[in-house]
Amino acid sequence: MLWYCVKRLLRSLGSLCIIIVIVFCLLRLMPIEGYFPNYDKMSAQEIQNGLQKMGLTAPLYQQLFHFFGELLHGDLGVSNIYRVDYPIVRIIAQKAPVSIEFGLIAMAISLPLGLVLGVLMAKKKGGFWDQFGTAYIVFIEAVPIMLIYLFLQLYGTGVFHLGILYDSDKPATAILPVLSLALPSVSGYAMWLRRFMVDESNMEYIKFAKAKGVPNNAIWFRHVFRNAMVPLVQLIPGSLLLTIAGSIYVESLYSIPGMGGLLVDVIKRQDNTMVQALVIVFAALSIFGLLLGDILMAIVDPRISLTKKAVSR
Amino acid sequence: MEREVVLSVRDLNVKFRMRKKALHAIRGISLDLYQGESLAIVGESGSGKSVLSKNFIGLLDKNGYVESGTIQFGGKDITHLKEKEWEQIRGGQIAMIMQDPMTSLNPLKSIGWQICEALKYHRKIVGQAAQKKAVELLTDVGITEPETRLKQYPHEFSGGMRQRVAIAIAVACNPQVLICDEPTTALDVTIQAQILNLLKSLKDRYGLTLVFITHDLGVVANIADRIAVMYAGDIVEIGTCDEIFYDPKHPYTWALLSSLPQLGTKGEKLYSIQGTPPNLYLPIRGDAFAPRNPNALAIDYLHRPPYFQVSETHKAKTWLLDSRAPKIAPPEQIQSIRSICFLGGETDGRE
Repeated sequence: MLWYCVKRLLRSLGSLCIIIVIVFCLLRLMPIEGYFPNYDKMSAQEIQNGLQKMGLTAPLYQQLFHFFGELLHGDLGVSNIYRVDYPIVRIIAQKAPVSIEFGLIAMAISLPLGLVLGVLMAKKKGGFWDQFGTAYIVFIEAVPIMLIYLFLQLYGTGVFHLGILYDSDKPATAILPVLSLALPSVSGYAMWLRRFMVDESNMEYIKFAKAKGVPNNAIWFRHVFRNAMVPLVQLIPGSLLLTIAGSIYVESLYSIPGMGGLLVDVIKRQDNTMVQALVIVFAALSIFGLLLGDILMAIVDPRISLTKKAVSR
Repeated sequence: MEREVVLSVRDLNVKFRMRKKALHAIRGISLDLYQGESLAIVGESGSGKSVLSKNFIGLLDKNGYVESGTIQFGGKDITHLKEKEWEQIRGGQIAMIMQDPMTSLNPLKSIGWQICEALKYHRKIVGQAAQKKAVELLTDVGITEPETRLKQYPHEFSGGMRQRVAIAIAVACNPQVLICDEPTTALDVTIQAQILNLLKSLKDRYGLTLVFITHDLGVVANIADRIAVMYAGDIVEIGTCDEIFYDPKHPYTWALLSSLPQLGTKGEKLYSIQGTPPNLYLPIRGDAFAPRNPNALAIDYLHRPPYFQVSETHKAKTWLLDSRAPKIAPPEQIQSIRSICFLGGETDGRE
């Protein structure tokens, strides 16, 4: 078990390093305007000096080594345009908690709802809940998500008599953004759980459990649900991290001071070092999510901890 | 030899709803299962042998239904039981083991947990007592070091071992009847023999009545007291093991026995039955086997034959047994069946 975790961790670190190298090299190809807030007004000499000061004139491999060295100290460099000469780590530290809070609350709502809906759908295929759930899933998947957000904001603010924008002093204003984040994930969880449960319920061992006289409810909860959670558990951390990192629309719609809008913002403003740092952070989050999912799965599935060869994903 | 009837099927008709059409899978079967016997149901794929046995345990697929007929078990008709009533019977009175031991155990639960689960519902044994009983059961099915094995998961067992565990679970609650749905098909030959011997010894120890579903006549010869030959949803011939092997009367039984690989002569083509089984969506007129029977009589195409009693234990549904029918001798190959070694050793011992 421990060996499995260590191996997966090492592999994740490996992929992260590769991503960092690629991102770093790609961003060196970006126009150098992105390093200076007032590029247009600078002379060629000033630009040259500036680049030298930032170490950007050195050979690529030296820059890369330098960057990795800084990274080990937890330093992602400084912002050049978004907030001049301000450490990027501190910008993220201010923004991330807001996003994490929203993400966690949204998940605390969507996960139980999604699981309950999924169970209800799977238990009676073709029944009321299955049809309701399918309609809901189709609606969420088919209608552009932006449109759903907009309508939620439009009608939600009217129904709850709330302001359009998020205000950290008024907790009630968080309802709509949290709902916007939660509702789509409900459909995701329900869809996957239903599918996994239907798969499991058709297995031979379910028939065998029935043949040994286990009551129906016990079969559903101790065999079908339990086993269907194994593949689902693997998806949960990833989807949580994506909610945290990727709530771009919702955060900008309600002007929430979180991480979501930040990446779009710095790309638009060509802040090269910020783009680089954020892409690396997001990549690290996704890899961490996958890793966490795999480890969770190893905990709930006895087959994994005992196989010598880890299944690669 | 009046023996107690455990389970009695009368005029059972089972149909499946398939895309608005009805598939007539069991066409009026009557069958008695005697206490302590082992009955083998043989027939080709799709002949309805599994469907028949699934009725005994209430696990018919959702689109299947009993159209008419009864199955008497324990003093009541079990064809239209509620799910709650089935939970009492399944495992406790009628148990079943499946074809593929690799998939019939829950991969995420320890063996001990899965045995104790059966004990919990039927015998209300839990905790330490259940553990002890589980150890006993594993010992009974020939698993060494049962205490350690209990804590292990199915993937740590080989196929043969898993089938032993499945058997342990099935007999955990002392059922009267054990249905074995092709229990050895997925195992290799050496393991097959072990499992069959295990089942035989458990049958005596636990006083089980075995229903064996198989298409492997070698397995049948090994374990069965009586054989029911199924074709197109009907039992065309039923008799003791010796009667079916040495004195078969139905042309389908002849064909089935002739296609035994052991009866082939080296260098010659193996016998195979011509044609395909009838379409069960359409009503069948006369004898279902007639179109594939080279010796079919005119009446075979018109009227369904009734059972003709050959002996007290042996009957067959074929017009050949009618006194007016021409005498057609069974094919030559199966006359020599007695000299085939694979049967010889086993049956001599029994006689």
